Amino acid sequence: MTMTESPPSEAAESSAAPLPAVGGLYDWLTTSDHKAIGRIWLRFGALSLLFFSVIDVLISFERLDADAIDVFGGVNSYFQMWSLYRFGIVLMVAIPLFVGLATVITPMQVGSTNIAFPRAALAAAWGYVLGTLITVISVLSGGGWGALDGVSGDEADAIRLTLLGTGMVMVSIILGTICVATTVVSLRTSGMGLTKVPLFAWSMLVAGSVWVLTLPVAIANIAILSIDLSGGAGLFVGAPNPDFDVYAQLAWILDQPAVYAAAVPVLGVAGSIIPVVAKGRQVSHEAMMILIGLAGLLAIGGWSQPFFGDERDTLVYIAFGVAALVPVLASLGGNGATLVAGEAPVGIPPAHMIGALGSMLLFLAATAAGALRVIDPLDLIGTTADTGVLNLVAVAAILGALGGWWFWAPKTDGRLFSGIQGLGAMTLLLLGGVLLGATDVIAGFVDTPDVLLASADDSLGDAMIVLSMVGSIVVLLGVLGALGAIALAYVKPGEADDDPWGGHTLEWATATPPPAGNFAEPPARVRSEAPLLDETPGDEGGES
Amino acid sequence: MTATTTQLAAPAIRRPRTVLVGTMFASGAALMTYFGVLAVYVSERAGARDAGEEWFPEGVIELGPSGWIFWTLVLAAFTVQWAVQAIRNDDRPNAYIALALTGMFGAAVFNQLWFIINDTGFALAGTRGQFLFFVMTGTYIVFLIGAVVFLALTTMRALFGQFGPSQDDGVAAAAMFWHAVSVMYWVTWIAIFVTK
Repeated sequence: MTMTESPPSEAAESSAAPLPAVGGLYDWLTTSDHKAIGRIWLRFGALSLLFFSVIDVLISFERLDADAIDVFGGVNSYFQMWSLYRFGIVLMVAIPLFVGLATVITPMQVGSTNIAFPRAALAAAWGYVLGTLITVISVLSGGGWGALDGVSGDEADAIRLTLLGTGMVMVSIILGTICVATTVVSLRTSGMGLTKVPLFAWSMLVAGSVWVLTLPVAIANIAILSIDLSGGAGLFVGAPNPDFDVYAQLAWILDQPAVYAAAVPVLGVAGSIIPVVAKGRQVSHEAMMILIGLAGLLAIGGWSQPFFGDERDTLVYIAFGVAALVPVLASLGGNGATLVAGEAPVGIPPAHMIGALGSMLLFLAATAAGALRVIDPLDLIGTTADTGVLNLVAVAAILGALGGWWFWAPKTDGRLFSGIQGLGAMTLLLLGGVLLGATDVIAGFVDTPDVLLASADDSLGDAMIVLSMVGSIVVLLGVLGALGAIALAYVKPGEADDDPWGGHTLEWATATPPPAGNFAEPPARVRSEAPLLDETPGDEGGES
Repeated sequence: MTATTTQLAAPAIRRPRTVLVGTMFASGAALMTYFGVLAVYVSERAGARDAGEEWFPEGVIELGPSGWIFWTLVLAAFTVQWAVQAIRNDDRPNAYIALALTGMFGAAVFNQLWFIINDTGFALAGTRGQFLFFVMTGTYIVFLIGAVVFLALTTMRALFGQFGPSQDDGVAAAAMFWHAVSVMYWVTWIAIFVTK
């Protein structure tokens, strides 16, 4: 809270200070600079992305012939890794990447010198790292979210540890998100009303609010399950041994509508990148804000959990499933109109453009698949269509986060990432995401069960499972390409201008890399949602 | 520069209400956590009733002690707002009295809850109803302790002079979280003790 306690004059003085070196472990553990804190989320999120992508390939390989192939050594181990991938890719990769990006970018976008509650933000970042490590280690030690054929006493201890790790990750996400959301609400610069907030910052406020209201319900579930495992009589987890119930009672956060919340920031990333690529203003900034808000509203889950009975048969669930398609489709249309109205250069698109548009297309595919999934006669719930929707959302979020990271790399890492390598990686991720998601949705139409413990007894289902594995491998290649390009940017750092893309929002008014305090001088009074366009001589946009 | 202008008070620096906004989000998260547990409780109870099972034996949960907690928290809601108003008026003696009274009410609520838990004679490894009753009261006690600690920190910072008429965010934030914890109990009182 140092920032809030500093009068404006002190804040202005500190903003001229040089960029603090964050090198040793002590610096990483004590920094209060939001850019360094955001990099903890981003870098560990990137490592987690690689880990979970490898896990997905191994799971896909075992699914090829569940009767003959035993990669993990038993049905329990398979289930543990299957559930680890699902929780991990959403809670330990997709959401943290956005929290990290927002921790770095959002304060600059709103013209603030730092994030609100920087020490809490730092605690959240390390809590996420620790929680993820505890979760992964406990699963590898025989824990996880229950087991399919009973577990020993030691494994029950490991399950409690998994629940602790999952809870820690959730609390960290909530804490980090509160810091970001408070920054957007309270630390906006002069003249920046809520309707003039950049779309990425707005999407993080919306998605963050949904996470803050949804994840605590899952924490309540975890508390009940943990106490039941520790001192209760196994009332909710199948006495004497925990079983599939543990996963079943938490899986609602990986199911629609709650899982859509992980991808809501995709709309903000695209809404920030597309106008810059189009070299013009967003056609209707306010309309895009409403659509993002609507997407967030339709992603509120919690009420659809099995503790409350099977809510997935109700009209509300069906309405949420179908309606979720509307804001995503309309948002894609809005961005398309912006591209058409602008002066986008003809030729090879930049990597961040592919990331932005690709992630929106995947999110659209996810909501379309979700809309089909809730139609009762199709009978898709409980089939691989569940995994299909999850994978489409997860890859959409990852592609959107990576697209945003490429775009904002001069501000997050002080350098540009390779455009060509980025283009290849984003394209692979897009193709892999489509293969991974669409094949599982199609396999769902022939009743291929979600937790596949035996080979599918349908030739179409078999074919889709093979294609799904190809999708997993393509996604892994895309991840390797992206992380390789980021690593290469550190080995051979290229020069980056302060504003290499001709950005519209205040983060592009800072130096590259941004100094401590972000701005050499307090930003001028903001007059529109694209303040840098207002300052450009000859701009015809005017105020919106 | 005339004497008149040098004697003019500088305009009060109005800090952004970051602490208040952050606490608003945190209170929302706390409420959702608690109501998540409560919703499971209510849902399981409805399931037990539909199945014709007894949730709690007749007469085990008494309305009296839980009602005292209700009214204690009503009083505390007034005293915590008294503290906020006193800080805004730079009336420090009143602020200290109000914060101390609120903290004392918090301790009283804890004491009364402990009495209820012991009075019921429930076991954690008992029936679903007993188990969930323990989880509910335990979760509530965690949030109550959090609110009291928040209040204690606020009181200390007020004692050291960090909060004043233009900087009442900390006290207002502690009051907001206190109200959220009170709302948790009031809803619980109706859902568990009144409707049983």
